[in-house]
Amino acid sequence: MFNPLSILDLILPLVVGVFCGYFLRNKKIPKLENLSLAVIVILIFSLGFGIGSNNQLLSALPQVGLQALVISALAIMFSIIFVKAGKRLVKT
Amino acid sequence: MIKWILAALIIGCVAGYVNNNFINAVPNGLISDQLFAVALIALLFVFGFSFALDKAAVDKMRKTGVRIFAFPFLVVLGSIVGGLLAALILQLNLAGTIAVSSGYGWYTLAGPMMGQLMGPKWGTLAFTANFLRELITITTIPLMVKLDRYAPVASGGGTTMDTTLGVIMRYCGKDTLILAFSNGLVLSLIAPFAMVALASFA
Repeated sequence: MFNPLSILDLILPLVVGVFCGYFLRNKKIPKLENLSLAVIVILIFSLGFGIGSNNQLLSALPQVGLQALVISALAIMFSIIFVKAGKRLVKT
Repeated sequence: MIKWILAALIIGCVAGYVNNNFINAVPNGLISDQLFAVALIALLFVFGFSFALDKAAVDKMRKTGVRIFAFPFLVVLGSIVGGLLAALILQLNLAGTIAVSSGYGWYTLAGPMMGQLMGPKWGTLAFTANFLRELITITTIPLMVKLDRYAPVASGGGTTMDTTLGVIMRYCGKDTLILAFSNGLVLSLIAPFAMVALASFA
């Protein structure tokens, strides 16, 4: 269906969403908090389903945790370092 | 928010495991591919819709000016260097690992997307790494704010426009609202394209 996802599959709904929101912004629209949470929950459920139904992946999971921690910790560390260095240059 | 997400992930895992190994009620791909793609497209639509609907958010974007846009790009550079170093330490695919760190904490996007682009193992890695980015940001924010007032905004990445915005404003001051919101928005817009582009080199 949408497999593999292309950039257009992502741009289109986002742009259409922005346009719809822009033209309807003077109308009274009920809060979208619950809808967006519901969509996220469905998305995460389908992701979990993909993990749970993949036996090969489940046996590899213990290894992924440590790798994930190394990647996220380093990404956070260097994001902070670059922002700190950039602030001196740009003087925000 | 996070407890709903964790519940959905755990229930999804159990349902997928039971379906695959015991009952075979539905084809696995129907949920892990088709339902996922529909949900992701709906997510992007709702995200774009609710942003354009929010006049205050649009005004905030207009008022922030050009200078504030330097901030998210420093986070982009930091995430690239962090991912590069991690790939060298862990001996993983270089472009793939940088793609994972270019999710900027948006794990609801990064996990499923990297899964589609590079297979389920990378999907799990991207989900876990970006989930940890949000988790670390929230749990270590009192320490991080001592390092630099804007460190939590850099750490939160794409999540600073929604899930981590509340804690950031509380610890970094209310005036960081515009910076945090625009940082999260710009990074959330960059993330899907950065991941697609990087994964094509992997």
